[in-house]
Amino acid sequence: MIELVNLSKRFKQMYAVKNLNMFIEKGEIIGLLGPNGAGKSTAISMLSSLIEPTSGDVLYQNKSILKNPSAFRKIVGMVPQDIALYEDLTAEENLMFFGRIYQLSGKELSRKVDEVLEQIGLRDRKKDIVKKFSGGMKRRLNIGVAMLHDPELLIMDEPTVGIDPQSRSYILETVKRFNEERQMTVLYTSHYMEEVEFLCDRIYIMDKGNLIAAGTKDEIKQILSSENTISITVERLNDAFIEALEQHPMTNRVTIGEKEVTILVPRETKAFSEIIKLAESTKLDLVSVDNKTPTLEDVFLHLTGRALRD
Amino acid sequence: MIWQIIKKQGLLFLRNPQQLLLLIALPIILVMILGTALSGMMNGSSSPLSLKIAFLESEGEEEQVKAFLADVKEQLPVEAFAEIEANLGNMLPVSTIKSVFDSEEVRDFIEVEYLKPSERNEIIKDDSYTAVIEVPKNFSYDLLTTMIVGGTAPTLKVTYNEEKQVGTSIIASFLTQMQNQFTKQNFLAQQGIQLSELAVEEMKAEIVTVNEKNPIEATSYYTIGMVVMNVLFIAGAISYYAFHEKQIGVFNRIILADVSRWVYFTGVFLTGMIFSFIQAIVIFAFSWLVFGISWPDVGLFLLVTVAFSFAVGGLTVFLSALNYKLNSEMITNFFMNIIVILLSVLGGSFFPIGDYVPAIQSMGNMTPNGSGLSAYISILRGENIAAISENLLFLVGFGMIMILIAVLCFPKRGVSA
Repeated sequence: MIELVNLSKRFKQMYAVKNLNMFIEKGEIIGLLGPNGAGKSTAISMLSSLIEPTSGDVLYQNKSILKNPSAFRKIVGMVPQDIALYEDLTAEENLMFFGRIYQLSGKELSRKVDEVLEQIGLRDRKKDIVKKFSGGMKRRLNIGVAMLHDPELLIMDEPTVGIDPQSRSYILETVKRFNEERQMTVLYTSHYMEEVEFLCDRIYIMDKGNLIAAGTKDEIKQILSSENTISITVERLNDAFIEALEQHPMTNRVTIGEKEVTILVPRETKAFSEIIKLAESTKLDLVSVDNKTPTLEDVFLHLTGRALRD
Repeated sequence: MIWQIIKKQGLLFLRNPQQLLLLIALPIILVMILGTALSGMMNGSSSPLSLKIAFLESEGEEEQVKAFLADVKEQLPVEAFAEIEANLGNMLPVSTIKSVFDSEEVRDFIEVEYLKPSERNEIIKDDSYTAVIEVPKNFSYDLLTTMIVGGTAPTLKVTYNEEKQVGTSIIASFLTQMQNQFTKQNFLAQQGIQLSELAVEEMKAEIVTVNEKNPIEATSYYTIGMVVMNVLFIAGAISYYAFHEKQIGVFNRIILADVSRWVYFTGVFLTGMIFSFIQAIVIFAFSWLVFGISWPDVGLFLLVTVAFSFAVGGLTVFLSALNYKLNSEMITNFFMNIIVILLSVLGGSFFPIGDYVPAIQSMGNMTPNGSGLSAYISILRGENIAAISENLLFLVGFGMIMILIAVLCFPKRGVSA
């Protein structure tokens, strides 16, 4: 359906996105993961035809959208990271305004506005001024506006930033429902691993403008097939234990929390006995040592050496 | 589509009472304050300057005139003498000076005391006098003789109070003007040019000059001044909204709905134009109801308001485009806080400064508000379209230049995150 070919964007001397290659099939939910500043927003701005790439192309049904974006824009719904709404207007007035911008009018517009209000659970609040809404309600309306013209492709740029868990869960369920009921294709960017794991069929991981991994959830987790992730919980961490862990030949990577240390070790290593020995020699009280099932977070950590939310 | 953009802006203004208050109520309050506080100065009913003059006359002018007529009767042909006798009323120097000092316009700021020469020493010691004018003996006789027969002209003795520099310069300028008048009369009389016609013409010319400044009431002036100033804030307010639309991603949403950026651009321009027109009409309607300011030619009034709104519409897209280009609302802030005030001072919104400094008048007419103000005042004075054509052309030209610059600055597609 859509293909990004060697897409790059340079601002002055710095590449925000460099040689990005992606494809999106109809009906898929694609996750685009990466920490802040990874280049996700720039990538989707180019994909949606909002900004011109420095080089590369975006193909929709094998035709470039760069020269004539009109046909492509008709099938795209965009949910921006910011609340792109008029906060001094009511929910209904916002939907009516954007509906007319999408060329809807008369009864069709009224029907569509009612339908969207129902889908996002704001029918009872349609006459309320948006600035009186909670963060979650604003986010839902932000999504609703993008749904007014029944887009085939919904691009969602971190749509759950700054909202409570209940609202986040509602939004994730809504996206899943849109995809299942309407066969809507979704490109979902986030730095929340659990959202992407819940929603997405395939995942692209970006860091510093580069694509560093791509595939299905299982394929990406396979990246860690040669390593185990071991979580060590302690009473009180000490520097000697951390230093000993870092210098031990079995350790590939060490991540330090307040009372927890996570290490990546080769799969064949007998890590438990080594960890107990190191704890005894550094006079550290262990609470638990767990061999964890790898998560996307672990994959990201493995690939970049940083946590996603750093 | 464009109508939706305009309607949405209307709703946003309505939902923001503070802004409405600033755009509509504030200029009305300012009109009331300035119109009342400065009406005396504008209408000439009072003056911040108050000058006091002592006028000392050694002897009566009537006796001197009789003596003059008796002496020249024998020296002149009968016809020439008859003509001089008939026109003598316009030529009496002391009476002319007194009539100027006693005129209503001058009396408002110059108090003249006619005293005896014996009181001179006391007056000189009194600091409250700006000047003492002494008419020497035989002054009128000698001056009339000089004018008709020739010879050396007599001089008035004027003693100035150096502590009142502004007042003394005004008195000096007054006397110089009168001196020129008599010198001119003197020259023309010697050339045989008929004095009666000339004197009447000069008086007439003076009356016309005075009448040009009088008809505009202070409230009328400040209604126009405040309208042309405050309408500029509409351009700032709408450009601020436009930039906010960019910041929160609404502009991108509009572009992604496949709406041409030129549709949006036109929407911003028309929004600026229509709301500035509405703002001006609301304030003028208020001034009509409350102050009774009515327009002699409503058609011309509407034409100027449309032209002025066009200029403000151009200013609105210009500011919006620069904000988009620089990705900052700094331009709008600078415009609202600094430029509007400068334009208002230059354009004469606070004080008709151009009436006193012609160079500033010319500069003021090169501002949209100053040009609008000049055009409105011309209409109030009953002038026709020819008198305001330059202002109209300037306003339309200004608007078009602003639009052109905005077109060159406006983003080609959406805007990056």
